[in-house]
Amino acid sequence: MAHRLEITLKPELLDAEGEGVCKKAAAYFSLPLEGVRTVQVLTIDAELSAAQLEIVRTEIFTNPVTQISSYEPLPIDFDWCVWVGYRPGVRDNPGSTAVEAIQDVLEIRLPRDADVYTSRRYCLAGSRMTRADAELIARELLSNDIIQQVRVFSRSEWDPKTGIGIIIPRVRLDHTPTVTTLPIASDEALKRISDERNLALNVNDMPVIRNYFMDPSVQADRRQMGLSDPTDVELEYISQARSDHCNHNTFQGLFRYTDLDTGQNEVVDNLFDTFIKQPTLTLKEKKDWVVSVLWDNAGVGRFDDDHYYVITGETHNSPSNMEAYGGAITGIVGVYRDPLGTGLGSRLVMGSYGFCVGPRDYDGDLKPRLHPRRLLDGIIEGVRDGGNKSGIPTPFGQVIFDDGYLGKCLVYVTAVGIMPAQAAGAPAELKTTSSGDRVIMCGGRVGKDGIHGVTASSETFSEHTPAGHVQIGDPYTQKKMHDFLLEARDAGLIQFITDNGGGGLSSSVGESARYSGGCEVWLDQVPLKYSGLDQWEIWVSESQERMTVAVKADDVDRFMALSRKHAVESTIIGAYTDTGKLHLTYDGKTCAYINMDFLQSGFPQWEFDAEWRPPAHRGLHEPVLSEPADYSRLLCDLLSRPNIASKEWIVRQYDHEVQGGSVVKSLVGAERDMNSDGTVLRPVLTSNRGLVFAQAMLPMYSAIDAWHMTTCTIDEALRRMLALGADPDHIGGVDNFCWPSIQYDPQKNPDGKFKAAQLVRSCRALAETCLAYGIPLLSGKDSMYVDGHLAGRYGETHKVSALESLQFSTIGVIPDVETAVTMDVKMPGDLVYVLGETRDELGASEYYQCFGYTGANVPKVRHERFMKTYRALHRAIARGLIASAHGIYRGGLGVHLAMIAMGGNHGLSVDIARVFSDDPLRTDHLLFSETPGRFLVSLAPENARAFESLFEPGQFACIGEVTDTAVLNVCRGSNSFISVPVSDLKSAWKMPFGGLI
Amino acid sequence: MSNRINALVLCGYGLNCDIETAHALELAGAKARRVHINSVIDGSVDLADFQLMVFVGGFSWGDDHGAGVIQAVRMKKNAGEKLLKFVQDGNLVLGICNGFQTLVNLGLLPGFDGDYGGRSVALTFNDCGNFRDDWVHLQVNGSAPCVFTKGLAHMELPVRHGEGKFITDEGVLNRLIRENQVVCRYAGPDGAPADGRFPDNPNGSIHDIAGICDPTGRIFGLMPHPEAFNHPTNYPDWPRRKAFDSRSGGEAKPPPTMGIRLFQQAINYFM
Repeated sequence: MAHRLEITLKPELLDAEGEGVCKKAAAYFSLPLEGVRTVQVLTIDAELSAAQLEIVRTEIFTNPVTQISSYEPLPIDFDWCVWVGYRPGVRDNPGSTAVEAIQDVLEIRLPRDADVYTSRRYCLAGSRMTRADAELIARELLSNDIIQQVRVFSRSEWDPKTGIGIIIPRVRLDHTPTVTTLPIASDEALKRISDERNLALNVNDMPVIRNYFMDPSVQADRRQMGLSDPTDVELEYISQARSDHCNHNTFQGLFRYTDLDTGQNEVVDNLFDTFIKQPTLTLKEKKDWVVSVLWDNAGVGRFDDDHYYVITGETHNSPSNMEAYGGAITGIVGVYRDPLGTGLGSRLVMGSYGFCVGPRDYDGDLKPRLHPRRLLDGIIEGVRDGGNKSGIPTPFGQVIFDDGYLGKCLVYVTAVGIMPAQAAGAPAELKTTSSGDRVIMCGGRVGKDGIHGVTASSETFSEHTPAGHVQIGDPYTQKKMHDFLLEARDAGLIQFITDNGGGGLSSSVGESARYSGGCEVWLDQVPLKYSGLDQWEIWVSESQERMTVAVKADDVDRFMALSRKHAVESTIIGAYTDTGKLHLTYDGKTCAYINMDFLQSGFPQWEFDAEWRPPAHRGLHEPVLSEPADYSRLLCDLLSRPNIASKEWIVRQYDHEVQGGSVVKSLVGAERDMNSDGTVLRPVLTSNRGLVFAQAMLPMYSAIDAWHMTTCTIDEALRRMLALGADPDHIGGVDNFCWPSIQYDPQKNPDGKFKAAQLVRSCRALAETCLAYGIPLLSGKDSMYVDGHLAGRYGETHKVSALESLQFSTIGVIPDVETAVTMDVKMPGDLVYVLGETRDELGASEYYQCFGYTGANVPKVRHERFMKTYRALHRAIARGLIASAHGIYRGGLGVHLAMIAMGGNHGLSVDIARVFSDDPLRTDHLLFSETPGRFLVSLAPENARAFESLFEPGQFACIGEVTDTAVLNVCRGSNSFISVPVSDLKSAWKMPFGGLI
Repeated sequence: MSNRINALVLCGYGLNCDIETAHALELAGAKARRVHINSVIDGSVDLADFQLMVFVGGFSWGDDHGAGVIQAVRMKKNAGEKLLKFVQDGNLVLGICNGFQTLVNLGLLPGFDGDYGGRSVALTFNDCGNFRDDWVHLQVNGSAPCVFTKGLAHMELPVRHGEGKFITDEGVLNRLIRENQVVCRYAGPDGAPADGRFPDNPNGSIHDIAGICDPTGRIFGLMPHPEAFNHPTNYPDWPRRKAFDSRSGGEAKPPPTMGIRLFQQAINYFM
């Protein structure tokens, strides 16, 4: 017997969630919604007595001060009522904690088939609203049909006795787990299986797979285990392991690169080895602080003698594009498992985000699955809950709007951890598995989550079909597991640890078993969310919040006791062996038996043709544009452009100072509202040593050349660190590539060869820049296929590809956090300097984009020259000569003069005639060129001589001073052409998003 | 320092400010120990060994059914008597953010007439409709019996919550005010109460209430995070202040931060 409890705020209290719905309905759709009251619904599917029901209602689920509740429908007046609940199998976090709480308060254990399901009912008031209006609100504001089901009631349709009825989205599979044998007599047969089961096997891999299973010695081994033809478990495993996601076939591919201008040809064999691995190994030799790179879940650098920091970055694009909240929260919570699974485990100390979406106010003809505004709202909330509820600060992030991301959005998530150099006397960055160690799965349970997302989404939904292919991360379960595993690490109980992400157990166990040389896994022992999963599904499911740990047999009891203390589920699911075999059984019967070395041997490399057309060949040229006259208005309008404007509303939703080590926050300045160049934090609270972190994204430059997009992105990420005071000799990097498909197809991807050439160029530029700047790549990931097919106005569809995108993260160490500087000018009378020279480099700049131009003169990095300036700046900061430092980024000198003035809430009086440039530049070019390598610095006049003595002539120019009157005054010689009160600058900068909270 | 105060810092089940709270207590002079909620419940850690217990910030049980609700239910059910004894023995209890939410759900606050079991005040969803991280000014009530805020008048601390709006009925509010149980109120930079103005009052709390104590002053709950101001560089304006100080010639070692001073008051209570 199920019971439905409805809970709502007392009528006299403000319903903030309802208010939010009203505001959005008015702002987005101009709907005449007059009020919304929300009702939480708990459907308790358990045998409970009336007395028990009353206890859980009053003691847990109803706050006597704020709420009212009833097991009958609450009599709340409405014109339309919208009920929204999860589809079966979708992770219902509040439902799970409700079960925990009910068991606790009643001191009972609920049976396995009992559960609690949460849903919401929205009572909409609006006498002029139609059913279509209510359905629009339901669809566009309150639900996503991929994970949720919706019912809309008019007042007359509502039965006050039954309300929404009793809806129980329980998964019922009614299926007996079965291993299927799949004969692969020919390549065609294997191809057919691959298509039918959506294995996405590459045709070139098929002969290798068949040869393996045809090998007489393999067949003899298999016969002993009772196997003949491959099983579905085996083929699914191979498909996972060979996927681009797990195996990075694109980056390991062979590229035939042709420059169509020079006719020059070359072959690049393996982008990863050539441009990422080799430079990093070279730099590791020179940088003794690089502790562990290129093999583990994340890279490791030395923080101090006793601690290492750990960093990696990920993307979660496709899932976020489908279900923004679920995709984003799963992404951030997922990336947090990487440092947790690095070495013997590290504690998470910060996360960051990079969101790339279509224009928030897009009103064109294309129909993305989710409008960019809604998509962004969902992504913001997903990363917010994932980070905040994990207790991990999110002190840095960026957002870019561009039409190219209408096809697919990008959600970059980055994680930083800290580990002791030694854990229970062992080097914490090392780990291995040994024969006899137990395979233990910790954390969440296994369901159909993430299995073949594509096939699942094309199936027809029935009432009890799990919709779990779109996941919702559960930071609560993971936080408990995080705390538990760190305690287990410090007790010396962990031999090896890795996370379950893409590929699930097949990947985590398959890869960890390489160290011992084999494993045996008992799939029937794996705890499931619901029964009826096939063996192959258990093996490849991507259910979240799980780690795989190797524990010595003698330590198992202590490990399990600790797990119980932390209320974390841990299960022994097998043992590591040295048999050379990956051996899976179910109820004692073998269902997979594969040589451990099979996946490392003999698979053919992917191949790509890459054709480079230089910008001039593509018709790109500088615009014919005369100098503007009204610079004051122009500057304000640039500040109001979405990619420049303040996004404080996002920043303040993110806890950016939990853990107590915040030094330079996301927002700085006199009014605490300016974007900091990066962030500084003290991960070890007893020390004054700090971590410095920053990121950059400049995908717009890919419109001209991904080479310069790459060099400028790395340069900006580096400058962001240096502006804060980081040591240029200790900068680690993380590369996250997001690229449209590069596989040429004359119909489906006619410019595939060009995009492949952009990728080759970008990787080469990455290697060159990292070597020149001395930035080893501590970690990195790639995500291909950033394309979407969008419906247009007439029923046609358009392929929309994103700009070739790279997010580059930088991390470093500052010996004393109190030497860090921020971007805001501090004192009237201080001198203002520009470091570096300004060139005619406005190609793909914000200024050109403002007029709809691309141009051709893309900004270029001159490593050697820049590095001299950077070292001098570092010395100046270390000596305490500087009051503020800020890089000149997107929007150029003009925009960033405004930034530092707004930061200090002081005026500036500057003469740009003094700015150092190679050729005489037009005023608009001087002001808005995006030449990299430059900074704005302010300092006390008495420090000027000492400061200038650190630099070579031509590296710096004193252009003016900070003024008491809060007005930005810019002149060129005797011609004063900008005079804007700083408060007006700020109004302009906050105009687009200032009303959002 | 053999007679240092022993402080118990709760952790587990999604709490997340335990490490910095323990650090802040150590800086203030206490001996701090992070203890899992289950270790209090199963008795493997004895409350009798401690003089101060801190319910820390975080998202206990994900805050899925009202912030701090399930933590309160679990503690009350399984360790309620131990808690009451701890309080009755004259010890101190501090609840920060999620801990404050837990204390009001436990009924340890406001604790009128020695009733430490009923719920008469609540912390609910911010009026702004969202989680918010920002620093706030607090006006401290010098007449409050609260032992944690003795001698403090004006504090700046960060808030980081989605459910911090303090509400109660008029009778309870008037009594809280009358008996000086309102310990700190959200204020403007001038120190005067915010009078509901956002963002000085970040959540819409009635009477700008940010923290209250019980009539004895030994139980104190507040939404802002003193432990997050454990170092001078936690303060948002530190780079600006440093610049001003260096120009005026003074670069003296800064006094303990406001957050640490709050913990010191608790320790001084036993001295």
